[in-house]
Amino acid sequence: MHDAILDIRRLRKAFGALTATDDVSLTLYPGEIHALIGPNGAGKSTLIKQIVGELRPDAGEVRFEGQRIDGLDAAARARLGLARSFQVSSVIPDFTVLQNVCLAVQGGSGRSFGFLRPILSDSGLTEPAGFHIRQVGLDGREQIAAGALSHGERRKLEVAMALALRPRAFLLDEPMAGMGTEGAGQLVSLLSGLRTEAPILLVEHDMDAVFALADRISVLVYGRIVATGSVDEIRANPEVRRSYLGEEA
Amino acid sequence: MSRIAVINLATLGLLIGGALTAHLTGHAFLVTLATKAAIFALAGVGLNFALGYGGLVSFGHAAFFGIGGYVTGILASHAMSGQPLTTLPYTMNGTNEMLAIWPMVLLVSGLAALAIGALSLRTSGVYFIMVTLAFAQMIYWFAVGWPAYGGEDGLSFYVRNAFPGVQTMQPLSWFLICAGLLLMTLGFTAVVMRARFGLALQAARRNTQRTVAVGIRPFGIRLTAFVLSAMITGLAGSLYADLNRFVSPAMLSWYMSGEIMVFVILGGVGRLVGPVAGAMLFVTMEHLLGGISDYWQVLLGLVLLGVVLWSPGGIVGMLSGRGRGHA
Repeated sequence: MHDAILDIRRLRKAFGALTATDDVSLTLYPGEIHALIGPNGAGKSTLIKQIVGELRPDAGEVRFEGQRIDGLDAAARARLGLARSFQVSSVIPDFTVLQNVCLAVQGGSGRSFGFLRPILSDSGLTEPAGFHIRQVGLDGREQIAAGALSHGERRKLEVAMALALRPRAFLLDEPMAGMGTEGAGQLVSLLSGLRTEAPILLVEHDMDAVFALADRISVLVYGRIVATGSVDEIRANPEVRRSYLGEEA
Repeated sequence: MSRIAVINLATLGLLIGGALTAHLTGHAFLVTLATKAAIFALAGVGLNFALGYGGLVSFGHAAFFGIGGYVTGILASHAMSGQPLTTLPYTMNGTNEMLAIWPMVLLVSGLAALAIGALSLRTSGVYFIMVTLAFAQMIYWFAVGWPAYGGEDGLSFYVRNAFPGVQTMQPLSWFLICAGLLLMTLGFTAVVMRARFGLALQAARRNTQRTVAVGIRPFGIRLTAFVLSAMITGLAGSLYADLNRFVSPAMLSWYMSGEIMVFVILGGVGRLVGPVAGAMLFVTMEHLLGGISDYWQVLLGLVLLGVVLWSPGGIVGMLSGRGRGHA
């Protein structure tokens, strides 16, 4: 087996008496979509924040491509290629689609101290940005303000911004949230294709999307991983059925 | 030509055309009034760089305005008296050449902003406002208690500093120098805001978390913007000192910080020529109403209230028919 891109070992985080992350170990291998599911309050967001560097764990380590990244801040982790999307769409609303993606290309390049050349004639930004906009199917919408996009389009823009970081791994926090059934199908096929770019750690509530996309699933309950396995194994796991899937399975 | 470009040109045309008309019709005082508006506009353009584009609400920009003024006054007074500023580590003399004074003003206000910004940018929101105000007040009280340069009474230097080939005491020539610097600074701001730095600065204002998530650290970007902003306002302070041939702690007071903020808010936060429109309206109102009553600022307050309530994009936002956004 390949070495893990993302390797989380025995991570622990407590807020007072509440242990939000309780000895969590998790791996993400090249080419896979690893879904993280769990009821509300299971600690999924807390875990994501520790991986991207917004929150400091109490114990344990986060390795990214073999290197410990615990000591790096969020911007440095993003620049290493840890691309993240947010639960609630997070774009710059009064920037155009093109400007948003240019911003991501610029961030990934690590060169933000350019004072003279306009963004729009900086082919080092606009060419990769245009490529990623086509990749997610937003071509023709480059000059629209991101705030004027439909919900589904904004989700695609976020994917384009993640791609622009030339990521080594994606962390997608509920990308399906708020999508209608029709848009959901489109987004599922877009996400499915992403795994060839970089593996995805997918936090998701939409079980149809999880079962359609995931290669492996981990179930988080009260801060602990209670099961990790293939889609079939998770569907069949009695503890998971009892504690989480309930009537659904 | 876009509507915003028309508004930009019309605003600048009004300022420069107004001064030229006043000159041709022999109203030297109105030329000086336009000069004051251009200098206030420059101070506002400086603040707008940080406040409008970067979302850094500095309530301490009088510090840089005053530092620009004091550097100018101190250099000019030493040039007049012939005494060197310091003899250690080497002899440094005063000067009355604007082209030598301005780089010194940019350097000192930039260094001051680097120190103040590095500390105050560790906070945000209302704390940032208070910390910048606190620093400005410290400098204010320092100037009040510094007898070598006039203390509370301020410092006069009688003759306006010199610019090669220009008779700076002639009102129109002096106006053109100030307006020229204003135009250059506006051009600089427009270019920077379209470049990588401007993109990162404006992104960090609108969505800090997203900006970090694409690998950009806002601190360095914001500190750079704060320093550039202070240098521009410092340059305006230098011109203001030369306009009056006098500097006093009033240039450093929190009241001055508020006035610079008023130029920006009246004209339009984050709009390129917003501070120009705001400063012109302010100086015009002060001139027309100030002669009628000392309480003319009651009316200014009403105008400010109206702008904030009904046109948060300021005068420029109202004319361009769009709410808050970018010029």
